[in-house]
Order: sequence, then C-alpha cells, then structure tokens
Amino acid sequence: MSTFISSLQTTLKGYATYRGREGHLSFILHRLTGLGTLLFLIIHILDTSTVYFFPDLYEHAIALYRSTPFMLGEIALVFSVIFHGVNGLRIAYLDMWKPSGWHVESQRKSVRTTLIVSIVLWLPAAGLMSYHLLHNNFGMF
Amino acid sequence: MAVRTITPPKNFETTAWKWMRYSGILLIPLVWIHVLLQDVIVGVHAIDLDYVVLRWSMIGWQIYDILLLAFAFAHGMNGLRQVANDFIHDPKAQKTVAWVIFVLWLVVSAIGAIAIIASAAKHAAGA
Repeated sequence: MSTFISSLQTTLKGYATYRGREGHLSFILHRLTGLGTLLFLIIHILDTSTVYFFPDLYEHAIALYRSTPFMLGEIALVFSVIFHGVNGLRIAYLDMWKPSGWHVESQRKSVRTTLIVSIVLWLPAAGLMSYHLLHNNFGMF
Repeated sequence: MAVRTITPPKNFETTAWKWMRYSGILLIPLVWIHVLLQDVIVGVHAIDLDYVVLRWSMIGWQIYDILLLAFAFAHGMNGLRQVANDFIHDPKAQKTVAWVIFVLWLVVSAIGAIAIIASAAKHAAGA
C-alpha cells in the first residue's frame, strides 16, 4: 500500500510540476476530458438501459438531465468530446503518418491550433445548448 | 535529423496502441453526430421514453448505437487502464486492475447491448 501511495504521489507531482508548456497542457487536457467523458458514458449507458429494464425509472433519469447543473455539465461534456476528438486526431496523425511533427516547436504550434479549432467548433454548440437551458429552465426567449 | 526506425513487438500492448488510434478516428463521426443530434439539436427536454423506444425500433439506429457502445466504451475503458498504469507501478496490481476494468466493461456493455436490441420488441409487445 505504501508503494502505491508513493507512486501515486510521484505521478501526481509529475503531472503538476512538469513544465512542458503546450505539450504538457494537451496531455493533461486529453486525460481530463477522456476520463470525464468516460464517467459520463458509464452513467449514460446504465440510465439509458432503464428504457428496457425499468421503464418507469427512465423519466426520473431524464428529469435529472433536464436540471440546470446537469445542462451546464452537458455543455462542458460537449467541449470535452470536441477537444478529445480534435487532439486525438492530431495524436493519431502524428504517431502514424508524420512522426517528425512531434518536434517541440511544431508540436507547440499544433497544440495551439487544436485548442483554437476545438473552441471554434464548441462555441456554436454551447450557444444553442445555452438557449435550450435558458428557454426551458428560466422561461427566457 | 536522422529518423530511427524500430519494429514494435507484436503483442497485446501494440495492438491496444493501434486500437486507440483507429477506433479514435472512427469515433469522431460516430460520437460527434450522436452528440450533435441528441444534445445540441434535439436537446434533453425533447427526449423521453417514447423517443428512445421509437429510435430503437429502427434497425439503422440500433446498429448505430451498437457501434457507438462497442467502440466508445472499449476505447474509454482501455484509456482508463492506461491512466491507471501511470499511477500503479506494481505489475501484479496492474494485472488485477486490468481484470477489474475488463469485467466492468463486459458487464456494462452487455447491459447496454441487451437494452438496444430487446427494448423495441418488449414495448411492441405492450409490456
């Protein structure tokens, strides 16, 4: 157990203090968005399965998804899915077809491009979802 | 700069490494279309039991959701295994964690697949 705690500390300290700028940022963001999406996915598979196993419970699940905190989480989820996809495409392309792109300078550029593309794709989706939230939960528009 | 070429060994980890990249590329259209439709265009306020049952009465959406379940969840659970290996360095503990993740993946995938395949028939029968 103590070796587990020490390896846990070593890894977390590395995550927090490694100064790799853009590459480090994209590594951390890729992990956080991936784990966040996976957590949602597990809940999502199980609650949607109630349509078959316990149909009466499904309405309760969907009522939870319509609450304001969940809808805000949904907007964050959509960013996670977009960033993880764009950054994953960058990783797959560089790994399999253009490994020379892993050099520090070109990687810094491709990370910044990835972030800009992700935000540009996310903004219209976030706008439409914000409209759904304000319209349905606050009676606006 | 000289490029060093190596041949990776043909083992489980090499296959898993390739799987993450190929399934990831496939997941971009699969997941993005799903999220765009259900979360952004339709929205949770328009989704209810009848909506899901209707979707799963169409063979095209059943196949779509099965592909989504198979590729997205396997991609995610293998990713979880890789993250866990960053924190757990003891090979025996890594093996235990991998098995726990595998069993969890199998059980949740089976639950989801049964719901997608059997739900339309159940509701058509009036159950």
